[in-house]
Amino acid sequence: MLHIKNGIVIDPKNGINAEKMDIFIKDGKIVEESEVKNPEVIDASNKLVVAGGFDMHAHIAGSKINVGREMRPEEMRTVRLIAGKFRASIGRVLLTSPAIGYEYAKMGYTSAFEAAQPPVGSLHTHEELDAIPMIDKAALPVFGNWHFVLKYVAEKEYEKLRSFIAWAIERTKGYGVKVVNPGGVEAWMYGSNCKSLDDEVPGFGVTPREIITALIQETENLNLPHSVHLHCNNLGTPGNYQTTIESMKLAEKFSNDRRQVLHVTHVQFNSYAGSSWRDVASGAEEVAKYVNSVDNITIDMGQPIFGHATAMTGDAPFQFTLHKLTGARWSNKDSEIEGGAGIVPIGYLPKNPVHALQWAIGLELGLLVDSDKVVLSTDYPNGGPFTEYPYIMAMLMSRKMREKELERVSPYVQKASSLPAIDREKTLYEVIQMTRSLPARVMGLDVKGHLGIGADADIAIYNLNPLEIDTSNDFETVYKSFKTSAYTIKSGEIIAKDGELVKEVWGRTYWVDARNKVSLDAIDADLTEMFEKYYSLQRENYGVEERWLRKPERLDVGEVR
Amino acid sequence: MEVNVICTFCGSVCDDVLFDIEKFKGKKFCKLGSSKFSKKERLKSPMIDGKEVSYETAIEKSAEILVNAKRPLLYGWASTVNEAIRLGVILTEKVGGVYDQCASVCHAPGTLALIEEGVPGGSLGEIKNRADVVVFWGSNPMEAHPRHPVRYSVRAKGLLIKDRKDRKVVVVDVRKTKSANMADMFIQIKPGYDYAIISALRAIIKGEDSAVPDEVGGVSKEKLKELADLMVNAKYGAILYGLGVTQSRGRDRNVENAIKLVQLLNRKTRWIIWPMRGHYNVVGAGEVPAWEAGFTYAIDFSRGYPRFSPGEFSANEVLQRRDCDAALIIASDPVAHFPKASVAHLKKIPVIQIDPFPNMTTLVSNVVIPSAIAGLEAEGTAYRMDGIPFRVKKVVESEYWSDEQILEKMLEKVNEMLEG
Amino acid sequence: MLILKPKIEFEVSVDAEITPSIALASEEEIANFEVFYGKEKRKLSELFEVKKEGDSAKIVLEGDFSKVKWVGARMDEGEIVIRGNIGDHCGAYMTGGKIIVEGDALDWVGAEMKGGEIVIEGNARNYIGCAYWGDATGMSGGKITIKGNARNYIGEKMGGGEIEIHGDAEDFIGTEMKDGLIVIHGNCGFVGGDMKGGTIKIKGNFELVPGFKKTDDGFEGDVNVGGKGKVISF
Repeated sequence: MLHIKNGIVIDPKNGINAEKMDIFIKDGKIVEESEVKNPEVIDASNKLVVAGGFDMHAHIAGSKINVGREMRPEEMRTVRLIAGKFRASIGRVLLTSPAIGYEYAKMGYTSAFEAAQPPVGSLHTHEELDAIPMIDKAALPVFGNWHFVLKYVAEKEYEKLRSFIAWAIERTKGYGVKVVNPGGVEAWMYGSNCKSLDDEVPGFGVTPREIITALIQETENLNLPHSVHLHCNNLGTPGNYQTTIESMKLAEKFSNDRRQVLHVTHVQFNSYAGSSWRDVASGAEEVAKYVNSVDNITIDMGQPIFGHATAMTGDAPFQFTLHKLTGARWSNKDSEIEGGAGIVPIGYLPKNPVHALQWAIGLELGLLVDSDKVVLSTDYPNGGPFTEYPYIMAMLMSRKMREKELERVSPYVQKASSLPAIDREKTLYEVIQMTRSLPARVMGLDVKGHLGIGADADIAIYNLNPLEIDTSNDFETVYKSFKTSAYTIKSGEIIAKDGELVKEVWGRTYWVDARNKVSLDAIDADLTEMFEKYYSLQRENYGVEERWLRKPERLDVGEVR
Repeated sequence: MEVNVICTFCGSVCDDVLFDIEKFKGKKFCKLGSSKFSKKERLKSPMIDGKEVSYETAIEKSAEILVNAKRPLLYGWASTVNEAIRLGVILTEKVGGVYDQCASVCHAPGTLALIEEGVPGGSLGEIKNRADVVVFWGSNPMEAHPRHPVRYSVRAKGLLIKDRKDRKVVVVDVRKTKSANMADMFIQIKPGYDYAIISALRAIIKGEDSAVPDEVGGVSKEKLKELADLMVNAKYGAILYGLGVTQSRGRDRNVENAIKLVQLLNRKTRWIIWPMRGHYNVVGAGEVPAWEAGFTYAIDFSRGYPRFSPGEFSANEVLQRRDCDAALIIASDPVAHFPKASVAHLKKIPVIQIDPFPNMTTLVSNVVIPSAIAGLEAEGTAYRMDGIPFRVKKVVESEYWSDEQILEKMLEKVNEMLEG
Repeated sequence: MLILKPKIEFEVSVDAEITPSIALASEEEIANFEVFYGKEKRKLSELFEVKKEGDSAKIVLEGDFSKVKWVGARMDEGEIVIRGNIGDHCGAYMTGGKIIVEGDALDWVGAEMKGGEIVIEGNARNYIGCAYWGDATGMSGGKITIKGNARNYIGEKMGGGEIEIHGDAEDFIGTEMKDGLIVIHGNCGFVGGDMKGGTIKIKGNFELVPGFKKTDDGFEGDVNVGGKGKVISF
């Protein structure tokens, strides 16, 4: 049992903005004071107490992450911790699985979800998730180029699509419906792409517009905890902000009173105006305006951090384009009849006009979009390390810090983006929203992201006094404080203290079971036929069983959480 | 009673095969797989210096050997499951030793090429569905991966390939192999000239064939142009390469060059390249240490963190330089396959063996720990040659401990010794 | 000057990142210098006889150092003389000073070297003046001389500097070379793959990879990367 005493709490979900409050913990949950006897006391006087951070979009586990490691031994030569009480921890931006868990813990993050799981490779994703200590986790299987989806959308068999989604999430022990460059990755099997919402997918005659709409429709019919999570078509292309807004408009006719109906991810990479790399500019203002005008869409930033990064996504054709553009090494994995992936090492240089513009666009989105609609992310490792989230937090809160940074970046940013003109400084409350309460709401996990009674006891305490800190001017302190928590508590246990690991724990893997909302019989014959004809493995050997996971936690869609 | 099992012999990991539990034999297996899924001679009991002991005693002795060694080598791993491999990596880290796996003598060059260039690849299902040109380069699937051609790459039909005639199969090799006999085009090359031939193909495809001599590696420029033409006009091609390329002159540069060729081809059409992995979980033996320790083989933990250096920390290097003073060999037979100089050193140091079956390495092992057969008596995760994960099954009860159980106990003992 | 002699026959390898500047330290600091003997952290004086003679930045290693690795790594001044064979990574990342090996060397001589000089009187092995796995550039300055033979991977991804091999070499001379000079007096194997720039001069027989066009003084290529590297017989 724990008693966090005298801390200054910011808990946006419960409307608490820098109030002195005690928190009581028992059996891994936040409880009433009366339930706790002889607790261990943590003196949090003058310290900020918040829920543990929730990284809802990161590439942390699975085959493409591992290929990234294997391709980049130069990334794996940074030593973070020598083996002893804990495992050896290595990695520069790419990290080993133990290192991922340890770094999140030291920073005060307690949940991280794998953004894109290749369905046939789900067991590998779960093996890697189970090799990451400390955090709670889940994985999002990718649907937008899966032949079953393309087939059912083409045949307008929406109930079958619904059944298929439920079947697929159970087989992959996944959490929701991820969509990556819908139709485009299937087109890549023919050497092409789907850059607009109305490009036809070869062999199926459907369009990205139809795929996205159908998936949103059926995800809403299933009322899954999380909405469709979309990596838009036309990523990384000057002028693509229009594709992004058009994609967002597909959500117009849907609504859900618990959450958004569409989450659009790493929007920075999809917010470019202009017509070529010579006149590329920011389209962030237009995108932000649209997001702010509706109430059923959320986004995450996809913020670039100057330094090394690795581009790894399921957007295989984009990855090939990146290889051609930069001449960098390139890995590709076309995957059965489900989709694909690509990996390319990259870097962001402050003096490079395009990189600086990308950096500016990410910040524009973070600043212009309402804080209950934009989650803080770097799309790790595509934009850069997750260990630099504190840099983003400090930048969002301090115009002065932004001005200093603007001095060292390419002057191209001055004319191509609106960042220099943005005076807005987000508050600490808003930044905590963007890293805690909002991601939990976006993912539909009511026990996360807040400190109310009944919440999971995943808590971070920082050496920062919200009642005294001047976030506009004291950005160095803000940055340092958020880099290293004073305490990180996971399920009621202290796992890190002042940058040192205290205890290694193992988190849960959430997965969603929607099978009782559909008829699996309806698609049985199709499954058998497609497996026989087009897969290279048996249907009976496809999928992941719960007992193979370390600590599975099944979320029944029928239940209220 | 016949049950579906997943074969744990070669990298094809056929998962459509059946096992008759009463008769204890396989059905639909190829020759290689059925030899494993049958009644075989087993190591009877754990032993220390030829004397039968309990599992606990043998494991404790092993832990002692590893803890006391200055540089223990833990090698093999390719024929066991990920759960055991993971414990092996953690164990190697704990004892400050060297982790190496079978790839270091077969497909490691592919890993080195991946580092240099990345690998443009795809799963076996993509080949089955789409590949209208398949090139086996230095690979002889008819003998090394007998069911691969019928399940995935030659006779397999799928989305776009409806008939054998829809596909052209090319075999490039130094001699006419059994696989060459099933090919539509066979190109015989001079041993050791893969690298040069690939450079020539790249130049031809790039339009710079004036820089190419009339003959490269025993192949005429016309023939090379014919092959280049076939490749450029493919809709979806696949190069599947084997030890003919990785273990001959050029090694990793051969693979790297072939990858550059495939990068170039992808600017015109679609191509993938992939290795024909030998052991059923050699992929896992590389993937697991990659996520646990950052690298896939030749990993040294002597400084308390993993370091990668293939020419330095691969098993043969470490043995031939006499740079290890104890060895744990699991699911492998180095005494049968390694060069004399490596085996000579193995004979001089304490050796622990974990394996279901007796082999040449058993003869030099001081501690022998018999294990259950994965895929038959023990379950676990294995990655097929294209990385697709399978959960191999336990269909038969056995008194033997699984590799996972053995290593778990060994790690426990090592931790006790290091804390005490 | 510091003279080191192995005290024992090493069972396993020793990682000793000693540079000439250690000769200028106090006797106590020298004795306590940390090295790795397999997984064991040891003091220099436990494994080597240490004798200090005068105050020059010079180290003399007497005996068989073939199991001792990383000698001279990152050195920037002074001199190391090895009166015997030396282990891997000799002179890696070096920026100045001089290393003389009177016997043979193993792999990674002068890897990613930026300046200074290395002379191997005997033979060397693989990866001379190369880049470590995943790094973009190998040797970029300084000079490596091998009086005997070398094996595979010479001067790959070279960005500058000079490598001279008096004997024979094997395959992959100057692969992906960007700049610099490689001179081989004897015979070698595959030369110039994906060469972008720089010069390779060979006296003996060699195998130029396809992708080179004939010029007045030799060959230019590799056309596969639009390269302007030169390969010249002399």
